[in-house]
Amino acid sequence: MMKHHSLAPTKPKRVVILGASGFVARALARCLAEGGIETLAIGSSQVDLLESGSATKLQEIIRPDDALVITSALTPEKGKDVRAFMKNLTMVNHLCAFFEKARCAHVVYLSSDAVYDDSTALVRETTPRTGLGLYGLMHVGREEMLQYASNKSKIPLCVVRPCAIYGAGDTHNSYGPNRFVRSAIKDRKITLFGNGEERRDHVYIRDVSRFLALCLEHRTEGAVNLVTGNAISFYDLAQRIVKLCPHKVELEWLPRATPITHRHFDVSLRLKEFPSFQCTPLETGLAETFQELVSQA
Amino acid sequence: MIGFIGLSHLGIVYSLATAAKGFEVLGFDPDPALCAGLSAGKLPVSEPGLEELLHRHRSRIRFSAAVAELAKCDLVFFSRDVPTDQANRSDLDALNGLIDSVAANISQTATVVILCQVPPGFTRSRKSALACRGVKWGGQLFYQVETLVFGNAVERALHPERFIIGCADPRTRLPKSYADWLAAFGCPLLPMRYESAELAKIAINLFLVSTVATTNTLAELCEKLGADWSEIAPALRLDKRIGPHAYLSPGLGIAGGNLERDLITVKQLSGEYGAEAGVVDAWLRDSQYRCDWALRKVHALVLSATEDPTLAIWGLAYKANTHSTKNSPALALIEALAPFARVAYDPQVKLIPTADASVRLAGSALEGCRGADALIVMTPWPEFLKIEPVKIKAVMKGGVLIDPFGGLDQTACVEAGFSYHRLGAPAIGFSL
Repeated sequence: MMKHHSLAPTKPKRVVILGASGFVARALARCLAEGGIETLAIGSSQVDLLESGSATKLQEIIRPDDALVITSALTPEKGKDVRAFMKNLTMVNHLCAFFEKARCAHVVYLSSDAVYDDSTALVRETTPRTGLGLYGLMHVGREEMLQYASNKSKIPLCVVRPCAIYGAGDTHNSYGPNRFVRSAIKDRKITLFGNGEERRDHVYIRDVSRFLALCLEHRTEGAVNLVTGNAISFYDLAQRIVKLCPHKVELEWLPRATPITHRHFDVSLRLKEFPSFQCTPLETGLAETFQELVSQA
Repeated sequence: MIGFIGLSHLGIVYSLATAAKGFEVLGFDPDPALCAGLSAGKLPVSEPGLEELLHRHRSRIRFSAAVAELAKCDLVFFSRDVPTDQANRSDLDALNGLIDSVAANISQTATVVILCQVPPGFTRSRKSALACRGVKWGGQLFYQVETLVFGNAVERALHPERFIIGCADPRTRLPKSYADWLAAFGCPLLPMRYESAELAKIAINLFLVSTVATTNTLAELCEKLGADWSEIAPALRLDKRIGPHAYLSPGLGIAGGNLERDLITVKQLSGEYGAEAGVVDAWLRDSQYRCDWALRKVHALVLSATEDPTLAIWGLAYKANTHSTKNSPALALIEALAPFARVAYDPQVKLIPTADASVRLAGSALEGCRGADALIVMTPWPEFLKIEPVKIKAVMKGGVLIDPFGGLDQTACVEAGFSYHRLGAPAIGFSL
């Protein structure tokens, strides 16, 4: 269940974002700045959460009335192994040490839909979090660690679990909208596994930052999936991107390495808890992403 | 004289059905105001045919709050509905209190029947307590399954399919007073031990839930695949293993409280005794998902496309022909749309039991949808079906009609210019 500690939207005094150089952190900082909210983005060069002294450093920076957004993580392209898993847990271990010594007003943790495995037909917040590989389990572990610390320190914790995020500025280039758009612009082709049958939900980066800002303004507590509720096959996704291109784009097919799985979400909880929030239609998000990437190119 | 102790929905309907069968009836309730109201012909519950039943048979029924009068009855029914809390758990305190408070006034030879919605084990546990409280009581105790359906309670009370009777020992002959009462209804009798009867009631409800959940699961697939569930259901009804009366109409999950209560009871019992009940969790999850169907439609069709929309909601009761709003999907929808302008209308429910004062209650169905961007028909009241869609469209601003139960004439709705959305079939008509 979710709780909004501020029923009327109230600007946080200041938002401290951990993981400053990440895709989401940069977009969120921009979004908050546009909304006139003071923001401090902290990267690993300033406070390296892998270091045991990081808790003390954070104590010097974070004020009791700050809201803290945690986006720091080693993402899958930086390693899916046990070492990356342990590093990710270590970061949050140090954050928990910080919560033992100091206070802040609100914590938002950017988790992932990888906390759920692939076996459920319709995923919702109450779906058991069995974790998709070590990366998914890492987020499950981090959520639990932060929940424990939050309960102990009585700081409201909001866990946001987005599905795959797309938009210009993404550094991951994983299989999906961003890679497809880049490849369509640069190589004039999009490569699909199998026939691109897998259906997935994709959320636009601007929606992610808007949604996180909403959670901050309402001082929301609880866990929520940030998804559109409209899954689409990779083939259909590729076709929509092809239509955006002024030039011919070829679809290339590679043998499938894994069995076909789909992922759909029940978005009822988000609709109830955030009734005014609407996701950007995929066509709009893709078109904006395409334009930005073209202008960058 | 036959006594009914506890005059909630169950007690009122059964006491009047008993009077209708020619018996002299005493309706007892500790609430004098309730008894006075009933004596004056004021019914606190709404059921088709109930007023007529009271009017026609009032010479054979008397309502009283004087507990001493129970001594005149040779057959008494405990007939107070067992309420449920927000988590749909039974609250037996009121029933236990009622039994304890009247036990000493029951005739020592009277037959006592518990008609209330009690969990397995309750009747046997109360047998000794009843004997202990009513010191001289030496009659027999039975449990009888009630299978009233809100909105059809009178018909089911007068013409039951069967009587399921829980007995201390099913081989023992039924006392004459009780046997005579049962015989008046002319239906099969199924005596069994207390626990079997108590579980039989739950079994009936869980089978209904399983049908509802299966119907809704397949109906959703119909919407996505371009099939129409209303074409499939008749084929199932002709299957002897499913039957003509099966619950095959898609709906917004289970509501009303009774089915939910039994699901929770089975979960509790399974937990206590170590039985697998994962399917019950699945049904509960499914029911919640169906309850939110209209909310998802409103977001997808209206809120994503219209700024500051006005939403008209027809129907607040959890189903037609009842005033009950327990677990009503309409109330859940209204609450979930709090930031938006909402106007509601219901033929029976005139107060919205929520803290949200921003919902406007209209005096009529057409007034309720005047200027609205979308109309959502959350309860299929017969009154709504008589209104021509073209008249609805004429007073509305927008053209979205969400009619989960498919009560309105969909062809007429489309011809009137609506985009029309119901459970179990793809959307038809114009988009926004």
